[in-house]
Amino acid sequence: MYITDLYSISPQKTFDNSIFEGEVEAFFGNKYYAIEPNYAELIPKGLLRRMGKAVRLGIGAGMPLIKKQNDIDGIILGTASGGLDDCIKFLNQIVEYDEGTLTPTNFVQSTPNSIAGHLALMSKNSGYNNTHMGMGLAFESAILDAFLLFEEGEVSKLLIGNVEETSEHNHNIDTFAGYFKDTEITSTDLLNSNSKGSVRGEGSALFIVSKNKENAICELADVHQFTYPKDKDIEKRAIEFLEKNKLAPNDIDGLILGFSGDNRYDFWYNDLMNSFPEANVYTYKNLVGEYATASGFATWLGAQILNEKNIPNEAIYKKTNKSPKSILIYNNYLGAQHGFILMKGI
Amino acid sequence: MEVLELKENLKTQIIKYLNLLDITPEEIKDDTPLFGEELGLDSIDSIELIVLLEREYGIKITNPTEGRKILVDVNKMAEYILEHSEKV
Repeated sequence: MYITDLYSISPQKTFDNSIFEGEVEAFFGNKYYAIEPNYAELIPKGLLRRMGKAVRLGIGAGMPLIKKQNDIDGIILGTASGGLDDCIKFLNQIVEYDEGTLTPTNFVQSTPNSIAGHLALMSKNSGYNNTHMGMGLAFESAILDAFLLFEEGEVSKLLIGNVEETSEHNHNIDTFAGYFKDTEITSTDLLNSNSKGSVRGEGSALFIVSKNKENAICELADVHQFTYPKDKDIEKRAIEFLEKNKLAPNDIDGLILGFSGDNRYDFWYNDLMNSFPEANVYTYKNLVGEYATASGFATWLGAQILNEKNIPNEAIYKKTNKSPKSILIYNNYLGAQHGFILMKGI
Repeated sequence: MEVLELKENLKTQIIKYLNLLDITPEEIKDDTPLFGEELGLDSIDSIELIVLLEREYGIKITNPTEGRKILVDVNKMAEYILEHSEKV
């Protein structure tokens, strides 16, 4: 399938592409919040005042795309948690008001499929509408769903993407689980921190994908997902994935790796990187933080690299004299869920 | 509670419960229709207002016809609260 348009809201100024003009945000601490656009022209006031952050991030990235191409046949999103903040507010109300009268807004905003549902309602799209919630593989599952739909031949254009929000509630719970660094660190030092835990990020990246090459920015060629691999399995699995696509490691000239600064899981990326010594290597979690569907941002970055945008130095881990034409994205979430995404230039 | 104080509290609570982002209590007149063009409220807001009455004033509205007569403007809401709430 081919990406014909894309939009991202992230902790960097991606919504207006300022990031390609050298405007890179630096962060201190373990939370990287999204820089949101002014939604006033995009979302009616009456809807905006009720929207939780996840819904805002999804609508804010999806509607500009739909407004340009309102002939999509369906909407497929991946989100591990959806509007988790509203969900926990709603659950707290149940306890606080002893299961009495509850406000509907928190509930409506909290369901993960609310984002794709809002997009469908706002664009009057009655086509296929699905939301995948497989934690660290939710975005990869959304891509797979799109591939299957295209194979069935009943759709020709889809809106796909990922959305994830930070809420104080889930951040506190995840902090207890040891997901984040307990010392404050700058985003510049994150990848070299050599300590356990990462930093929390959030954002959305949405794409118009088409079965036709016309007006394509790049090709989203394949996706693969797996869980709990054995050590040293990554290289073997990557080669098998490439062989399936009639490629060898030497054909890959761009690697986008999910280094998160967490020394419990970053060795996976080092292992894979060593198998592709000739490739350019890019990172992104030092720009947008770690979250379950961060590979959505990696895909956005991959499309920009293939489109020869001015990629900021902060995202370049290793540069070679090759200009990337084939990109392999590898991301793992907490060392348990692993995904490959293959992208090609046009 | 004095009726004027009640109305001012109500306006602040309406803004908080409905998350009316760019409206101040001063902009809501006592007789501004809640469901007219000025505030632009809708059916979900009417449920939020019913929740407001229950949580802040201990008033339960179960009959929709009754709700339509109360959720007209701040005047009508304050009048009903003074008649039925034990909290004011």
